[in-house]
Amino acid sequence: MGKTTPVMSLSDAPMWQSIENGKLALMACKTCGTYRYPPSPICPKCLSMETEWKPIAGTGTILSWVVFHRKYFDDFPPPYNAVAVRLDEGPIIMTNLVGEEPEGSWIGKRVSLEYVDHDGRRQHAARIAE
Amino acid sequence: MQAADEERKGLSKVASVVGVGHTDWHTDYRAQRAGEKATLDSVGLGALAFVRALEDSGLKRDDIDGLIVGPTTPYERMGEVLGLDVRWGGQADAMLAVIQACMAIKSGLAEVVALVYGNAQRSQKVNYGGTNAAGGASFLSYVYHAPWGFTSQGALYALMFRRYMEETGLKPEELGQVAVAQRAAASLNPEAVMQKPITIEDYLTSAFVCEPLHLFDYCLINDGGVALIICEAERARSLRPDPVVIHGVGRYDLNSGATSLEPRLTEYYLPAQQKVARQVFDMAGVGPQDISSAQIYDSFSCHIPLALEGYGYCPPGGAGKFLAEGQHALGGTLPVNTSGGHLSESYMQGWGHQIEAVRQVRGTCGKRQVPDCNFVHYSSDVAGKAVSIIYGR
Repeated sequence: MGKTTPVMSLSDAPMWQSIENGKLALMACKTCGTYRYPPSPICPKCLSMETEWKPIAGTGTILSWVVFHRKYFDDFPPPYNAVAVRLDEGPIIMTNLVGEEPEGSWIGKRVSLEYVDHDGRRQHAARIAE
Repeated sequence: MQAADEERKGLSKVASVVGVGHTDWHTDYRAQRAGEKATLDSVGLGALAFVRALEDSGLKRDDIDGLIVGPTTPYERMGEVLGLDVRWGGQADAMLAVIQACMAIKSGLAEVVALVYGNAQRSQKVNYGGTNAAGGASFLSYVYHAPWGFTSQGALYALMFRRYMEETGLKPEELGQVAVAQRAAASLNPEAVMQKPITIEDYLTSAFVCEPLHLFDYCLINDGGVALIICEAERARSLRPDPVVIHGVGRYDLNSGATSLEPRLTEYYLPAQQKVARQVFDMAGVGPQDISSAQIYDSFSCHIPLALEGYGYCPPGGAGKFLAEGQHALGGTLPVNTSGGHLSESYMQGWGHQIEAVRQVRGTCGKRQVPDCNFVHYSSDVAGKAVSIIYGR
């Protein structure tokens, strides 16, 4: 077993810094404006290597969800959920749903991002939007 | 030769399988469960499978001039232990190994290619989730979402299939028919690791691993090896009366958006499978209606409905009905994973499916034999990399 650790490529550090600051920023292409996640060295749409970091609105829609019933990490005792959220800016991120869980299907529910302390690391989570 | 070449399209009928072999999956698994230590490592398992495939082919070791080794063993070491110096070699997963062997033979770089896979994943305690998840170095999606506890290939398919079920209305008891039918097939296969039949009630009451997928939706994890000998088609005919001809191959890879799971969550790999379907059926000169059996890469049961739709065996959204009617079971219109597949026979990462396809076409599958088996379609779509091979007489 062991604890979770973020993948930290040369492109990832500014994103985790934005999370630490409580406002997720995503990498965007400076040439064509396309957001991309995970961050990467080149725009897959126009192949420009000019990038900028843009704070996002922090709102999106649940695409799908799962519930883990098996223990894989010391810092995630089961059962726990994970949700795929389509951000309003376009990219899909994985996060955890906190707070009240919807009755029935979670797909299509609107969520807003918040920031939680997870075992010494700050990271985003989603909550069903009012 | 020229006339024959003109009849051939792409890699069609360039090469045939003349030998297959595998290790004693059932016996080895039982021994390990009883506490016995494994006696062979990954290289040793591959070597044993190779010896059996060579014997099955009737060829001598010196006839082999090409070697492709699976991704779980070092290429050089495998060649070294088998004493194989070759004029062409490489390393590939099961499906690409078969295609590369055909390419090497077509281009004249080799005439008889040995394909060797060994994987001591159970005794080596390989983890497919958690820290140090297997495959993470090749697929960023396997490790990137870990900070949110999201790990394991099973979870990726659970996430994908949850959305698919909501969009299509496919019910859990319909998906469960995959595991039930494959176990029923495995009960007729003395080599299968799991042979005790299960009911749909057993399936529905089994524990979730990553909800909505149950334990019975997951592949086994066991030690084993598989090998094939692939030979230039003309020479193959002179070797044995029943070479199994490779009639068509196809591949299409969805890479865009792979780590953020875009092709999984919004398209279920359908565009890749549809492109491969056109290529492989066109190359083979057959269509879905000509296929006697399908061997579908099933690390998880949900690969089966996705492939059935992707290759046109049923309309998009129609897989639930197909499964509910048992069309995928032995005796159905398209028996799928007739050995029990990864769920019940042995988790050989697609290699076992190749030799089951060969044996079905040969007609040597005993109680699980599909009658009049002319063409077998192998399909995999691991992480959106869709590959197909059509085997036939």
